[in-house]
Amino acid sequence: MATSFSFSISMQARVSATTTRFCLQKPASIFHNGKTNLSFSQRHPIPARLAISCAVKQETVEKVSEIVKKQLSLAEDQKVTARTKFTELGADSLDTVEIVMGLEEEFGITMAEERAKEIATVQHAAELIEELIQQKTA
Amino acid sequence: MRISVMSQMHRSFSIDLPSLIPLQLPSRRETHLWYVIPDEVKSTSLLKRYSQLLSPIEKDGVDQMRGDELKKNALLARTLVRTTIARYQTNKEVDPRSLMFKKNVYGKPEVDWQNCNNQPLHFNISHTDSLIACGVTVHVPVGIDVEDKERKIKHDVLAFAKRFYSADEVNVLATILDPEVQRKEFIKLWTLKEAYVKALGKGFSAAPFNTFTIQSMPGTEGAYNLCKTSEVTADPPEETKKCNGGWKFALFDLADSHYAAVCTEDDQANEGAPTKIIVRKTIPFVEDQLISERIFL
Repeated sequence: MATSFSFSISMQARVSATTTRFCLQKPASIFHNGKTNLSFSQRHPIPARLAISCAVKQETVEKVSEIVKKQLSLAEDQKVTARTKFTELGADSLDTVEIVMGLEEEFGITMAEERAKEIATVQHAAELIEELIQQKTA
Repeated sequence: MRISVMSQMHRSFSIDLPSLIPLQLPSRRETHLWYVIPDEVKSTSLLKRYSQLLSPIEKDGVDQMRGDELKKNALLARTLVRTTIARYQTNKEVDPRSLMFKKNVYGKPEVDWQNCNNQPLHFNISHTDSLIACGVTVHVPVGIDVEDKERKIKHDVLAFAKRFYSADEVNVLATILDPEVQRKEFIKLWTLKEAYVKALGKGFSAAPFNTFTIQSMPGTEGAYNLCKTSEVTADPPEETKKCNGGWKFALFDLADSHYAAVCTEDDQANEGAPTKIIVRKTIPFVEDQLISERIFL
């Protein structure tokens, strides 16, 4: 039962020398006077100190995509990329929790429920997984 | 020739669309539940009209959905919300296109009444592949959740419950021997727990599923109550359970195919009083059908 639109926005840094991708780790509804405003990125450039590098292993992204496809019974040719939002694929909160269980089994990690339910894209899942794996092996 | 002002107003903002039939607000002890069955909405011209009701952001949201069926359902969900809320504004006719929405600080969708404060209406939506529902109350927050009865859980139900539900709920599920019955009870609990978190409107972290238990009230059908577990820092640490009121629950069948859970905040003045749920099926602008009126203790 999908109940709300969640927007995650990835910003491109205006640095010509290197192409660094910045992305938000948590999905956020961008508020501007209390109303969602999709032109937020144009009006309010993200200061450098908020930028979070989001390089995740392609392998992790692929494994997550596989698990998502399996849970949602998607066709093999359904395109799922790092930026694909679960809700776009028709996932509801029960699907998201089942996806998380699948990820926990696959990667041998445990996710806190609150963080798990907030995962909106394959990218977010991959980032959280790698963070938890790192914590485990640290 | 006399043309009434009302029909002129109709013409000015409903060029393509017929008028919406107004509705009486629910009473304090009532929840109105409206639902649409996507398979029953086939007319492409009707769907086109629906898309004219949506804001640009909502249209983007619909377009982002992958596949025609998902797009259609997203469109129907926004249409159901806009048309239902517009119909409850009995003082003046409200164009469903003019409604604005926002999210509370935790992300729960709400109507942005702009300058008209103190509006009593609350709503919450939920949908599955085959049914879209919208609950409406006055003066108290509401959360609803609907789920296909036949939904298959891909993991072991008990393992899932142990991971996410409360210990008491796991115990209840563990005593059910028939796997089908167990799966159904699991789904019912899911809808009740989701409905509560959505009614609370404070996001998932405010009420993790394993911190509260929803149990059926003995001797009733479809009535449940909520027990919150909290750890008291004592030596040794104890878990205490608080089961007194605050929230009312109702669980019932919907369209023979779904479970529906409705959670509303208990009105302090009438705490413990029965609540009535009126269920109607609708195709916006086309027809309404009263399905049931039921009292839950």
